[in-house]
Formats: sequence, structure tokens, C-alpha cells
Amino acid sequence: MFKYIWTLVYWYFRPFVKWFLRHTTQMCELQRICYGQPSGAPRAFAIEESLKQSRNANIRTLVAYLNDIADQRRITTKTERKILEDAIKTVLVTKNINPTAHPTFAKSFGKCVELIWGYRQLCVECEELRKTSYSPENPDHEQLLLKLWSLLMPYESLEARVTKQWQKIGFQGDDPKTDFRGMGILGLENLVYFAQEYPSTATHVLSHSNHPRYGYAFAIVGINLTSMALKLLRDGSAKTHIYNSSKTLPMIRAFHQFYCYLFYQFDGFWIESKPSNMMEFSSIQEKFENSIRMALANPSTVFRINVAVDNI
Amino acid sequence: MSEYIDGTNCPWIPEKQHNMLKSKQSTQHYSKSLIRLRSKLRLLLLGLDNAGKTTILKSLASEDITQVTPTQGFNIKSVQSEGFKLNVWDIGGARKIRPYWRNYFENTDVLIYVVDSADIKRLEETGQELSELLLEEKLRGVPLLVYANKQDLGHAVTAAEIAEGLGLHNIKDRDWQIQSCIAIEGKGVKEGLEWACKNIKRK
Repeated sequence: MFKYIWTLVYWYFRPFVKWFLRHTTQMCELQRICYGQPSGAPRAFAIEESLKQSRNANIRTLVAYLNDIADQRRITTKTERKILEDAIKTVLVTKNINPTAHPTFAKSFGKCVELIWGYRQLCVECEELRKTSYSPENPDHEQLLLKLWSLLMPYESLEARVTKQWQKIGFQGDDPKTDFRGMGILGLENLVYFAQEYPSTATHVLSHSNHPRYGYAFAIVGINLTSMALKLLRDGSAKTHIYNSSKTLPMIRAFHQFYCYLFYQFDGFWIESKPSNMMEFSSIQEKFENSIRMALANPSTVFRINVAVDNI
Repeated sequence: MSEYIDGTNCPWIPEKQHNMLKSKQSTQHYSKSLIRLRSKLRLLLLGLDNAGKTTILKSLASEDITQVTPTQGFNIKSVQSEGFKLNVWDIGGARKIRPYWRNYFENTDVLIYVVDSADIKRLEETGQELSELLLEEKLRGVPLLVYANKQDLGHAVTAAEIAEGLGLHNIKDRDWQIQSCIAIEGKGVKEGLEWACKNIKRK
């Protein structure tokens, strides 16, 4: 009830407050955010909220246009510059900002737009990869799967495409094709990225998964972590990390990095929990997810894999 | 059901209530809890990996079934059906997890066994796992519902053929039923559950 009244009051009085501040500070809300908030997640969050709340027709059109472009995945390294320039120009004109008097504003606002809509586009891209089911008829998929094996098990070759050996890297049976399920090719790409970019961390984690007491199924846990990473991405919790860690347009790499961090952390969390057997997976994963959510609730959070570990 | 009355064997009853039930201070409480106990049932979903257990579980709970992952460990959901509150336990089917199935046998009201009707290569394996389950002391007399899942796939065999292959007709010590279904479309899942609920009512 209180929340309802508050939203109502907020909705009515926001324009007055904004009008008052605009006249006392000689700056619009977007400028105040760009100058007042630290860069990264805090600033991008505030800009996102301000743009969402805006009742100005130009700004609303701009937001709809950017949403559209992101949903169609049309922000690329080539088109990006033009899109950002258009967005900045729209705000400068609409809000009557003199770009020579406020050179840093344009730069900082453009950066926020890049993060906010890059993230939105990333969600779309991940969803498309997820919806692409693993298909043994697709040579690209098959090759990627074999690549995963050779990255994780460089000293052992596969005897056949269908073999019990797959269980050594934590697949359920003799053919991994049925293990990706609802995570599709995204699950496989995540695993390959982890094994490729952090080879020693990945093999280190893989060796933990073969621990006689605290062992678990590496690939299967990996696929479950893809699901968790995607959940955090979709509900916006992952924004904190992505906004803080992206120097440029967030792309699929950013999601893979986020995933690698989760995998590496989960491994430690699992071993520390000293589970009596694999059946404790769901409860431990839930606790792990809560701890990650807590960390992400702090707007200054940024996850980094400890590189030192990768050299051990 | 008599062993449930003091609540000690019911994992779904919080500790507090165990004591409440034991003390029997208030007969009113006692009978109310009894009714609730009788209407809360434990269903156990088993089967090989990739049979579709989690999809059936999510379908029963009317949840999104497009984003299922292989079950490491187990999932549990509470579902309402035919006036019953059902606790459905879905245990992972990977070979490595199968030894843990027995930890979940206790107090099972209905055993649901899921078969991938299109996985002809592993029909023998799934039959073997099922026959081992049927010999378990803790599952003695527990009604058996078999879902012949994935009927939409071209090379799927029919429910009748699966019943034949699993030797269901030789089961004499319990009620059983085979239900063909397509879990990803939700087809046939509810029908199977209705059988399960009716079967408990009759007892």
C-alpha cells in the first residue's frame, strides 16, 4: 500500500522536482547523473532509469528506436558509432545542451547508452544461442564438441564419437548430444570458452570434479551454470558486473567471462561446502546463487577471475 | 498410512509438528493434521537420463519446459491434483546418480517411471533398472505408473510395445498403468497423474 502511494506521489512530483533542480543547477537530469554518479554500473543504472521515466516525446522515440535496434541485434562495431552519435545528438538538442560547454557529458552519456543497449542486445543473442539445439547433423556443432574434448583432455584421444570416455569430462552417458537440453549450443559454447581462455583454471576445476569424495559431473554442472548465468542475465542482476567490466560494447564474450567466473567460484563453493554426495547439488547451487545475487546487489561489484590461479 | 500418524516418518513435516503430533495434547489439532497428512502424497519420478522426468515435473507444475537442464541431484515440486497435494520428487537419471535413488524410496505413494520411447537402444537398460526397482523392499506394493514419453518422435515405439518390452504384464504384486505422453507438449501427462490419484483414493 505504502509502495503504491509512493509511486503515485513520485509520478506526480517528479516533474516538479526535476524542474526545480534544472533551474537551480542549470543542468538537466541526465547531466546531473553523468557528473554526479561514478562511471560504470551506478551511472548506467541511473541513466537507464531516467530515460525510462522520461515523458519527453523525443526521448521516448529515442528509447523505442534503440530498443528496436538492440532487439534486432543491429548494434555492431561498425554501426555503433553512428547509433551513439544519433542518440547523443537527440539528447543535446532536446535538452538544449551546448556540446562545447559540456564536452564530457556527450562522451559519458554515449558510454551509458552503449552499455545499456549492448546489454539488451546481449540478452537477445544469448537467447538465440540457447534456442539453437545441439544437432549432431550440424558439422559446426560436432566440431565444437570435439574441440571441447581436445581442450580438456589434450593427452587422451577419443576412441570413437560415441564412447564412455565422455563421462570423464562429466557428460552423463556415451553421447553428449542429449545433455545440452534447453541450454542448446550456448551451453557448449560456454564450456569451450572456459576451456580455451582459462586452460589451467578449467583443468584445475576438472580435476576437482574427479575428486573421490567431493566429485561432480563437470560438463553437467557447467550446463546447469549456463542456466544460472542466463537467469541472472535475463532478470537484470548481471547488469552490475557487465556494466562495470565492459570497456566497450558488451558482446557474447562478456557473457562467457561472467560464466567462467561463476564456474570457477562454484567449484570452490562446492568443495568448501563438503557435500556428502552429488544429491546436494540443488541446495548448494541455490546457496551459491544467493551469494552471487548478494554480491551483484552492490553496484560497485565487478567479478574477475584470479589470474594467478591460471598460472599454477 | 498408519506409520505417518506420528509424523516421524514424514520428511515434509517440519520438526515442530512432529512434536505437536506426538504430544497429542489437542485431539482437534491431531485430526486436522491427520486429514492434511492423508491428502499430501509423495510421488517419485525415476527413469534413465534424458527420459524426460524434469520436463514432466515442470509440465505438472505448469512451469516453462523449454529451459530444462540435466538434473544433477534432484528437483522437487508441490502440485495440486484431484484434491491431493502432491510432492513430486524428480531424481537425476545419470548412471552415476542411480545408486542414490534408494535414498528416496521411503514413504513413496506412487512410483512414476519415465521411458524415452524413441531411445530404442536403451530399452533393455531401462527395463533392467525398472525390474531392479520392483524388487526393492521399500517400494513393495507401491502403484507403478509408466510414462511412454516422446511419442511425437518418428521412430518412437508405442506404449503397448513398451509395456511388452518392460514385461509389465507379469507384474502381479501392485497396480500398474502405462500412459503414452509427449511431455514437451503437455500431452498425456495429466491423464497419467489422474490415474495415480484415483489409484490412491481406492486404497
